Amino acid sequence: MPRPDSRLSLARLGALRRQLFNRNTLRNNEGVYLFLRSPMAIVSAIMTVLIVLGAVLAPWLAPTNPYDLASFSLMDGLLPPAWEEGGQSRFLLGTDDQGRDMLSAILYGARLSLTIAFLAMAFATILGVGAGLLAGYYGGRFDAIVMRIADVQLALPAILTALLIDGIARGLLPRDMQEDLRMYVLVLAIGLSLWVNFARTARASAMVERNKEYVHSAIIMGQHPVRIMLIQILPNITGPLLVIMTVDLASAILLEATLSFLGIGLPANSPSLGTLIRIGMQYLMSGDWWILWVPTLFLIALVISVNMLGDFLRQVFNPRLR
Amino acid sequence: MSKWVQVASTLAFGGMLVSGPVMADTFRWANSTDPQTMDPHAVNAAPVTSFLNNVYEGLVRRDKDMAIEPSLALSWEPLEESAGWRFHLREGVKYHNGNDFTADDVLFSYERGVSETSDVSSWFAPVSEVVVVDDYTVDFVTHDPNPLFPDSIANFLIMDRDWTEENNAELPAREQETHASRNTNGTGPFRLTQRDPGVETRLVPFDGWWGEVEHNITEAIFTPISNSSTGLAALLSGEIDFISPIPLQDIDQVESRDGFKVLSGIETRVIVLGFGHQHDQLNDSDDAAGENPFQDVRVRQAAWQAINIDAINRVVMRGQAEPASQLMPPGLSGYSEVNDERLPYDPEASRALLADAGYPDGFSFGFKCTNDRYLNDESVCRAISSMFAAVGLDADLTAMPVRNYWDELRGGDFDMFLLGWSPGTFDAEHPIRFLGATPDGRVGSWNFGGYSNERIDELLPLVQQELDPEQRQAWLDEIAGILQDEVAYVPLYTQPLIWAVKENIDLVQRPDDFFMLRWVTVN
Amino acid sequence: MLMFIGQRLLQSLFVMVAVAFLAFALFRFVGDPVSQMVGVETTLEDQARLREELGLNDPFVVQFWDFTRNLISGDFGYSYRTRQPVGQMLLSRIPATAELGTVALVISLLVGIPTGIYTALRPKGALSQSVLLLTLVGVSIPTFVIGILLIFLFGVYLGWLPTFGRGETVQLGWWQTNMLTLDGWRSLILPALTLGVYQLTLTMRLVRSEMMDVMRTDFIRFATARGIPYRSLFFRHAFGNTLVPVITIVGLQFGGVIAFSIVTESVFQWPGMGLLFLESIRFVDIPVMGVYLVMIGLIFVVINLLVDLLYFMIDPRIRVREAA
Repeated sequence: MPRPDSRLSLARLGALRRQLFNRNTLRNNEGVYLFLRSPMAIVSAIMTVLIVLGAVLAPWLAPTNPYDLASFSLMDGLLPPAWEEGGQSRFLLGTDDQGRDMLSAILYGARLSLTIAFLAMAFATILGVGAGLLAGYYGGRFDAIVMRIADVQLALPAILTALLIDGIARGLLPRDMQEDLRMYVLVLAIGLSLWVNFARTARASAMVERNKEYVHSAIIMGQHPVRIMLIQILPNITGPLLVIMTVDLASAILLEATLSFLGIGLPANSPSLGTLIRIGMQYLMSGDWWILWVPTLFLIALVISVNMLGDFLRQVFNPRLR
Repeated sequence: MSKWVQVASTLAFGGMLVSGPVMADTFRWANSTDPQTMDPHAVNAAPVTSFLNNVYEGLVRRDKDMAIEPSLALSWEPLEESAGWRFHLREGVKYHNGNDFTADDVLFSYERGVSETSDVSSWFAPVSEVVVVDDYTVDFVTHDPNPLFPDSIANFLIMDRDWTEENNAELPAREQETHASRNTNGTGPFRLTQRDPGVETRLVPFDGWWGEVEHNITEAIFTPISNSSTGLAALLSGEIDFISPIPLQDIDQVESRDGFKVLSGIETRVIVLGFGHQHDQLNDSDDAAGENPFQDVRVRQAAWQAINIDAINRVVMRGQAEPASQLMPPGLSGYSEVNDERLPYDPEASRALLADAGYPDGFSFGFKCTNDRYLNDESVCRAISSMFAAVGLDADLTAMPVRNYWDELRGGDFDMFLLGWSPGTFDAEHPIRFLGATPDGRVGSWNFGGYSNERIDELLPLVQQELDPEQRQAWLDEIAGILQDEVAYVPLYTQPLIWAVKENIDLVQRPDDFFMLRWVTVN
Repeated sequence: MLMFIGQRLLQSLFVMVAVAFLAFALFRFVGDPVSQMVGVETTLEDQARLREELGLNDPFVVQFWDFTRNLISGDFGYSYRTRQPVGQMLLSRIPATAELGTVALVISLLVGIPTGIYTALRPKGALSQSVLLLTLVGVSIPTFVIGILLIFLFGVYLGWLPTFGRGETVQLGWWQTNMLTLDGWRSLILPALTLGVYQLTLTMRLVRSEMMDVMRTDFIRFATARGIPYRSLFFRHAFGNTLVPVITIVGLQFGGVIAFSIVTESVFQWPGMGLLFLESIRFVDIPVMGVYLVMIGLIFVVINLLVDLLYFMIDPRIRVREAA
């Protein structure tokens, strides 16, 4: 499920709760202390790290390479996980209809999903923070334009943004490049549907800081506006930004899955977690439960851990929620 | 996590059967696609013609075994003085609104069928004129002798001239709907009582139908359900009585439950692989740029022999498909018995052929495939790609929704593609006309690769006009032989037809996937 | 004030034009509508003629101009697939989506607000912690998975509730409702739950954080110091203060709920606008897609505008800033 609502409401909340984020000087040890005191944070951090490590190290960890068509055989198709009757130990989590090892598939799938999510989030952060800082700092017409563009963005649900980008890419890119660029198209689509959050937060902060005396003095001292924005204003919002980044990372992973569920995602020969789930949906009723539930549970575990981490960060940066 | 899996699996295959609030006399069914119109001449697509055959009727119709039998016409014979056919019409037939059916309605329906906005005009390409002889006799005059004409118009449904003209629906809807897009007035066994496009359509039996009633339903309700899991859930929860199609992988699940059964048969749709015969170079290759190895028949044959069709059938198609040797399935008229052997699966021979043609290490190419058109199409393509990889053919598979697919193929952007073909006339001439003939605007409109063979182009008109069945079959055998020898296409399998229905319901599964309400009995 | 409203209206207009343009641009690339409209035997010449008739060969600008002009004059065109008037098609699907969205929203408020307050008042309690954990799980499971789980549990396995569609409906003028029959209500439960889960967690978290904020503000602290009973303090002062932002968010969520019922409607075959939109993508029904998108855009813009105006009236600081 895309999280446009979170975009929307968080964006407004950013304005509403501007004051929440005022306390953002975090003493060094406080975070560590809070972290160690929260079992939820520890568990989620461990899970996140494990899954990310599994994804990064997939080429070394996975028993087979799911992209190499010659490496698996239809003869091994639909084998259940090793602990079930008929399962084989070389396929710990079973195989799909093509004889592809599910464990390898989800590791590689998570790798792809996380790559897309991270890139999308990074893209959204840079675009959103940049636009937001400039808009808040300069105000006036530029501010109005940026915020209206943000409104257009909000008016287009994330699924539609993705369709739009996908469609335009289809129209503009040379045909033979489309498949290779498919991932970046998704990154762009997901990133574009997430940037508004960042922009609103950055803008709100920039507007507040802009009128503070230290910024005034910096301006009088002749410092370059970009320098002021990056050095004086940006550090003030690292806390809230970090929270949004974490939450949006989870959103991006889910959005990718939903797009794939609707059939707009990546092709089946280089499957992300979302694509694996889409393929698995065909086996929902069939008794071959692992084809659907292995990637689905893996995805849910990943998103829950990331969200838990986000929750924890929110508490750290906003003591009132403690 | 393991507990979760348990919960999930309990959910997925909990064996309990609960019947929903369905009354015995109301029959509810679902299909993945809604017929887009109720106008029998506006769209020539299977969901439409199949549905409307319950409401409207043609001069002839197909029985439970696909054989042609009298419907609104009682008998027909070739014209004596010119090429064409004379139809003697059934008397005393009434439309749902009480109007009488006469020969004038046939003429009207023909004129409507060949009008500019009609989508069914291809049926009448051989026809030069329709003459009303008297109220119950009508002649279809054809340009050339046309032995199969009566067989080819089973879906030509007759509309009432008075009703249609009164409602300003003389022409099939083109830009905007007409009265006939959502309302009907046929002679068929069922009449439409409610039409809510995309949501629900209701029918009740027509009291004044001329035929003998075999069914025992009092109302029939149709709902389109596009998501296959939702559809199956609706059946298993008892909310609907019948659904088609269901995914192959769910057959065991339905059969293992009390109160449900699966009807499986072979459809008439053959799935084939096509090549870019006319392309001088591959579109999508890393190592064979500037040439098109598929122009070499040895390479095409290598592709054929690399495919283990039995494994695909067993694993991907769950043993429900039927390996195919030509562009149509056995049993239909004109099937070539002499060519019913497939080239054997033989990866060794395949590698040898490739080496012979100058590609000992294979080459890479683009392979286009649909992912929402045919049963398990994407899985089949992935399995084929993996089998190709075993002999060195490196297929770069792109699977896409059908809405983008035809555009892509018409644009020539493929090196190899997947295609399914169901012969609309249930005769061997049909696939030859659309897939085998050199494209010239009139024929060969689905021959995307531009396969061309002079002899076939020469034989096609002969086949179309030949009255002697033996001579005709000889020519059809020759064409099938050429297509097979030249590996114009790689025939894969005939697609299965899987319906799921409640145990207490009897119905008839016709190979053309048409569902006729008049054969339904609820026990 | 008037100037502010005028300015916002103008900006909203700009947003709508941009949405219309994007919506339109998208459809040029979705696929070929003609091959979806005709049968397999239709000749290429006939297809070409149809393409010409539909204006698909006109230059982009001409097509966009026609599209916009017709939209403004209230002529939404005809569906390529069913040839029905698009306005009528969408109108007939509005009740289904509106009722689903409303019920989902009500569920989210009825459950979300009390749990939000509770978890704010007892932040350390075991129950609060488990509720928070549960909401985390709630936002982390894709909606389509939740929907399918519900179908199999309550529809197939337990057999308590219908698995698809709206059930028995009653016609009230042009509005077709399923809120007047038992069957209709039964059909509504599962999809509304599916759609409501995410909204619920969002509402709960929002109420919680607003509540915790207010409880720490100075006036509450003073009030506590003056010895006002905790209970009355809480309900009379704190809760009232959290309502404004919560109502704002609810307004914003409503637009989101309507737009994002797409997935839910597809899982439950719920005949609303979202399902219509997905089907129109499947069959490249360009006019339906276009009008749907523009309509969703309009809903968002109107809600945004209302919220802005609401803020303008509530928060004097904005007034000062806009004036300056």
